[in-house]
Amino acid sequence: MNNLLWKLLRKHISPAQLIGFSIANLVGLTIVILAVQFYRDVKPVFSDEESFIRKDYLVITRAVTGVGAMMGGTGEFDDTAIADIEAQPWCRKVGRFLNSEFSIYATVGLGNSGRAMRSQFFFESIPTDFIDVTDAQWDFNPARPEVPVIVARDYLSLYNFGFAATQGLPRISEGQVGMIPLSFTFSGNGLNEVLPGRIVGFSSRLNTVIVPEKFMRWANDRYGNGGHGHPMRLIVEVNSPGDVKIEQYMKDHHYDVAGDKAQAGKANYFLTVIVSIVIAVGIVISLLSFFVLMLSIYLLLQKNTRRLRDLLLLGYSPGQVSRPYVLMVVGINTLVLALAVILMVLARAHYLPMLEAFDLPRASVLPAVLTGLVIMTLITAGNVIAIRRKVASLWLN
Amino acid sequence: MQKINLHNALPAVFAGREPVPSQVWQCSLTMERGKHYLIVADSGTGKSSLCSYIYGYRRDYSGSIDFDGRDIGNISIAHWCELRKTSLAYLPQEMRLFPELSALENIQLKNQLTHHKSEREILDLFDTLGIPDKVNSPVARLSIGQQQRVAIIRTLCQPADFYLLDEPVSHLDAANNAIVARLFADEATRQGAAIIATSVGNHLALDYDVELKL
Repeated sequence: MNNLLWKLLRKHISPAQLIGFSIANLVGLTIVILAVQFYRDVKPVFSDEESFIRKDYLVITRAVTGVGAMMGGTGEFDDTAIADIEAQPWCRKVGRFLNSEFSIYATVGLGNSGRAMRSQFFFESIPTDFIDVTDAQWDFNPARPEVPVIVARDYLSLYNFGFAATQGLPRISEGQVGMIPLSFTFSGNGLNEVLPGRIVGFSSRLNTVIVPEKFMRWANDRYGNGGHGHPMRLIVEVNSPGDVKIEQYMKDHHYDVAGDKAQAGKANYFLTVIVSIVIAVGIVISLLSFFVLMLSIYLLLQKNTRRLRDLLLLGYSPGQVSRPYVLMVVGINTLVLALAVILMVLARAHYLPMLEAFDLPRASVLPAVLTGLVIMTLITAGNVIAIRRKVASLWLN
Repeated sequence: MQKINLHNALPAVFAGREPVPSQVWQCSLTMERGKHYLIVADSGTGKSSLCSYIYGYRRDYSGSIDFDGRDIGNISIAHWCELRKTSLAYLPQEMRLFPELSALENIQLKNQLTHHKSEREILDLFDTLGIPDKVNSPVARLSIGQQQRVAIIRTLCQPADFYLLDEPVSHLDAANNAIVARLFADEATRQGAAIIATSVGNHLALDYDVELKL
């Protein structure tokens, strides 16, 4: 920068005003990017997205009422009811749950200790295209039978806290599902066979045991009677799970929507609302600080009007005489952005350990930093345009 | 730039008044490169206004002023900045120095735009004008006459087609007047430039080709 120009134009710069602006803007910007970062870090706790099941689906059953049961209502969905759901505008796809029609015993444990937890079991299956695991993991080959299952998360708790703890077996985290020693005994049609099982994932939304549809058809043929009954439960992929029309439809037809999706949805909604309020407060503070800087710069330019005009008379262009102020604003704003990012990272280091218990995926800081960058770029652009305009207005005396 | 033309120009504040006899206002006047013009004026007849119109920082006049046929009202800011560095050298009556800078810094502020004079040449000019000891003094501490000489050196620090000097020697004695006149005459001759000097009494001591009553 031209030193003589700076020597002239720095007159009347008020460090107190600039520091005031910087602190206010730092507070506002830090609030905004910290809120964005916090939202991204915490959101997985509230959203029950599961990597292996697509998210926009609902599991529906017929409401079980005392009267219905006494009247001999089966609770099944017949073809007409399914066709009606498929015809709804919010419905993308309907899948039927198939039930196992044979006896199953699951055995967990064994190993060298010889101890095992044995329990009667049941299986359900849904069409493969509702499940997001690789084909290799979710396949069943009768020639080398091994049964992949997706199990309700509660079952893992049952194993860890109920069984493993009392039997002296190691506790198992979700990452170590392969280590759970599991086998199934199937009986029916005069057969009694043991097949190894393999857990591919846990679900807190499907409170059941899911196996591949291919296995279910094979097993129902082998141990049961072919399994051609109507489904008791349906899985429905919808455009938007929060749609009020869906709620109304379910109410009108006495269907229950299963799972905790509604609860998770509410928590997620309130998280979004709270974070939005915090971000709004941060933006208001940033905006106010922006106006403080604008006022400060206007005052500065006003006090230096004579100098600026005389420089223009010497042949300096409005751009040249604006440059010291533009550089000053860009410098301050860059510093504020850098400090805000540092503060955000420090604050995050404090709250991240508290979230460790949830075993969440690490969110990137990039979106928060980009948000800060966008806000600062807008503020800086506003400042620079105002400075340029003000100086250009001094051209004519 | 070869010519400055005025057609019926009149400061807006004079509009509606009794027409006063003038060889500049409400006339057709052409000033050409290479010649010396003296504009003699009484106070309040629009001498500084004329300079500010030609230098492009005021537009409160009627009629038209053009440079080589191009109306100055249509000249862009960027072009004006270029003209002020290469074609039009202006010495304002009030000098417009920066009091917080030293005499040399005031001159460097102009010279670093034009790179017209070396530091040696600038220091020689301080010598010639009798203020070699004031090079590093803040302008605020200089007498008005010394300030005028600093402003004169600054005006000389650029190439020009027209030197526009508004009462250039109003605070100088006859000896300094003669030195300043010689400096401007030499510089103008070297560049083939015109000198337009105004005066309310103390004329810059040049041989003038044209003398105009404002």
